[in-house]
Amino acid sequence: MWSLLDKCCEKCKHSDKNPCPDYIECRVKGPLCHDDQKCKELRKKRIEELKYGIHGSKIRIPLSSCTLATGAEEIYNKFKEYILEKRLDTEIVISGCFGLDYLDPWFEVVMKGYPAAIYTKVKGKDIPRILDEYFEKKDVSNAFALRYRTGKAKGEEKVPLLDEIDVWKKQRKWVSRNCGFVNPESLEEYILSGGYSGLSRSLKMKPEEVIETVLKSGLRGRGGAGFPTGLKWKITRTQPGNPKYVIANADEGDPGAFMNRLLAESDPFRIIEGLTIAGYSIGANHGYIFVRAEKPLMASRLKKAVEEARKYGLLGENILGSSFSFDIDVILSAGAFVCGEETAMLSAIEGKRAWPRQRPPYPAQQGLWGQPTAINNVETLAHVATIMSYGLEEFIKLGTEKTKGTKMFCVTGSVSRPGVYEVPVGVSIRYLVEELAGGAPEGSSIKAVQIGGPSGGCIPKDKFDLPIDYETLQSAGAIMGSGGIVVINDNNCMVDVAKFFLTFTSAESCGKCFPCRIGLRKLLDILDKITSGNGSEEDIIVLRQLANSVRNSSLCALGGTAPNPVLSTLRYFGDEYEAHIRDGVCPANVCRAFITYTIDQEVCIACGQCAMNCPVGAISKTSSGKYSVDYDRCIRCGTCFIICPVNAVQKVSKKELVRGEVCG
Amino acid sequence: MLFRKSVRKSWLGVKYVVKLKLNDKEIEAEKGKTLLEIALENGFDIPHLCMLKDLYYGTSCRLCLVMTSRGKLIPSCYYRVSGNEEFIVDSPELREIRRVNFELILSYHKVECWLCNRKNNCKLMDISRKLGVEGLPVCSQCPLAPEECLLKKGILCLGMITLSGCDAECIISGGQCWGCRGPVTREDILERAFRRYKELGFDLNDVLFRAEIFWNSLKEFEKIREVVEKVKGDDK
Repeated sequence: MWSLLDKCCEKCKHSDKNPCPDYIECRVKGPLCHDDQKCKELRKKRIEELKYGIHGSKIRIPLSSCTLATGAEEIYNKFKEYILEKRLDTEIVISGCFGLDYLDPWFEVVMKGYPAAIYTKVKGKDIPRILDEYFEKKDVSNAFALRYRTGKAKGEEKVPLLDEIDVWKKQRKWVSRNCGFVNPESLEEYILSGGYSGLSRSLKMKPEEVIETVLKSGLRGRGGAGFPTGLKWKITRTQPGNPKYVIANADEGDPGAFMNRLLAESDPFRIIEGLTIAGYSIGANHGYIFVRAEKPLMASRLKKAVEEARKYGLLGENILGSSFSFDIDVILSAGAFVCGEETAMLSAIEGKRAWPRQRPPYPAQQGLWGQPTAINNVETLAHVATIMSYGLEEFIKLGTEKTKGTKMFCVTGSVSRPGVYEVPVGVSIRYLVEELAGGAPEGSSIKAVQIGGPSGGCIPKDKFDLPIDYETLQSAGAIMGSGGIVVINDNNCMVDVAKFFLTFTSAESCGKCFPCRIGLRKLLDILDKITSGNGSEEDIIVLRQLANSVRNSSLCALGGTAPNPVLSTLRYFGDEYEAHIRDGVCPANVCRAFITYTIDQEVCIACGQCAMNCPVGAISKTSSGKYSVDYDRCIRCGTCFIICPVNAVQKVSKKELVRGEVCG
Repeated sequence: MLFRKSVRKSWLGVKYVVKLKLNDKEIEAEKGKTLLEIALENGFDIPHLCMLKDLYYGTSCRLCLVMTSRGKLIPSCYYRVSGNEEFIVDSPELREIRRVNFELILSYHKVECWLCNRKNNCKLMDISRKLGVEGLPVCSQCPLAPEECLLKKGILCLGMITLSGCDAECIISGGQCWGCRGPVTREDILERAFRRYKELGFDLNDVLFRAEIFWNSLKEFEKIREVVEKVKGDDK
């Protein structure tokens, strides 16, 4: 079958040995070097095929980690069964995720002449019904949204367009524009959606001009530190030493952050295009993509994409007729959180133990194998590719004065619409958490957000009007980090939250420098002491002093930011620490040492489930036939609390209980 | 390319000289040398542990941190001077940071100076004395060699559980310690010390009786009693 990427006829001069500089434009806009109606029609037909499927209809099912987890594979198999059973001429196409993870699993059905309908939260048993409705009755009234309207299907007016839906409308899709609606394993679809025009444009410019464009755009690294990307490239380019290297950092390890994964799984070619542009402007002939080994789908998509690009001459010798040669290796990380730190990543690529080293010299001066190296986050590279394709002006319009453009944020935790949202930099936290992610689910209220993963800080509810940009968050005690936002509700104890993040960082500390290796451990010990009810007033002072010391004197950014959760919770939720120490109360009733479980005798239905499941036999029948808890035996595991069918088991503060008994 | 330049420094025998300002003291130094070397040559005392010349510059111990003019902390053992720069190499603030870092290192060190052959002749104790780290036993300052230890002769000495740093005549002249400076508060040291007392054949009640003379009214004495009970209970 002829694909867009092949030669249209004998007149086309493009070959692997003599690549054509206009190859990319020629693919979609028709033959540029010769005029032939046949070739134009060939292209037109193929584009139609890509849009509506070879036989005029297709089903697009997202296969990415998030949808696979919710059962997309089952649905994929159901499609196959359905198509075989009904002998339909329909194509099944895979795609990435579109970021609204609360709607998973979803799929899209397209038929020529009819609207493309998106169905969400589907179950395997619903598939025949939905497809019957669409293909036979031409009825879309049960769809979640439509991509476009044609006015031919039944019930079209009831269903909103995707662009009209609040969650979609309020975002600004810039780098994630293709996510969900492009086949991540097909270069053809990427080029059709406007891809690789950025590279084609860049190769016609001088490398210095490309750097100048990126500098003008004011793009800052999206990996967390916010260093201007253009400046980084300029420094790397002017350093003596050859060869030079470029590295895409896709080692995303923060709990609650998955925007890089989503981007690489849904639109891997954009990252490769960005990396190629980076290589061209720096003067590097070799690039690496460093992928987290725990995300195998992401790695395999990137590897496939690299092979595909290599096959069509978009990687390799003399790319698109220029004198520039470039190749990419995809490297799996050793699986440690610290590998995301740039110097540790360099030693991991070199085959050594992933240990960070002291900077300066910076990687831009002395990086991989002692050569100048530019390391960029994959989102930054995707931004570069998008800027080069869609122009600078659009990008500069977005964002704040200091930070331009958009940023993808992962909102997870206690919200009703968790997912990845792309918004211009500088929107308020409230906009992201309440308007996009839908605020807290019913029955709870938001207390704080943790921005920037385990190295970020907590920001309380009354500061939600702060704009999200690098400087503001830093002054508020958090960091933008990679963009993970974990929403914490009032059922969480802040000391426990700090302990959770510190447990993660102290386990992931590489152990090279002492403040991080031992200091974090000691901080964790003190928090343990406080949550187990043995804290003293002195502990808060020691905690603050030690956290500051660890932050200032650690070797790398892991130790330098790991105490942030402790410091920020101490700053905004100091009263909770004091309640643990002075009053012996955990305000959110989370810490085991301060709570106990009781059974409300009026609600209890005497089903006996709690007594059956109690691991220590602390629940027994009373003379009234109901059940009660023996407080001395109870280990406060919470099994009865979870298992009770009528919510008769209640969490009570230990102190309250004692007081109640004395009074009663 | 800081390392490259340092290699080039003695090329054709030419030495490049840069001007540095360390704690308001202006000095001239050879380009490419580490800041630590220069500071030590010029009489500044910067504690350092992990650096081994020409072998390890891993900057692990974070004791040799100095402050740049921008207020950033950098390890001096790694930093090679390349231009006219200003540093603060010693200040109360820096000492505090170094002391915290050193305490962290020491918290994982098995302090048993009474058994250690180095006694007070080790780098760890040197630094601890310089930084004023509290909480080490008198044995770390005892001038007697381990073989000459009074405890081996059957003379009860509270050196193992008493805080060092008093510089009193009784210890310096090799006499027994009475514990007047107060007890060591680290539980692991206390526990090891009482085990040693037991090993040497002392009755722990005698030790406690001696300790009560000075420490009876202290809060920490309760903790010591607990540790003694624990050590006593080991046999059963």
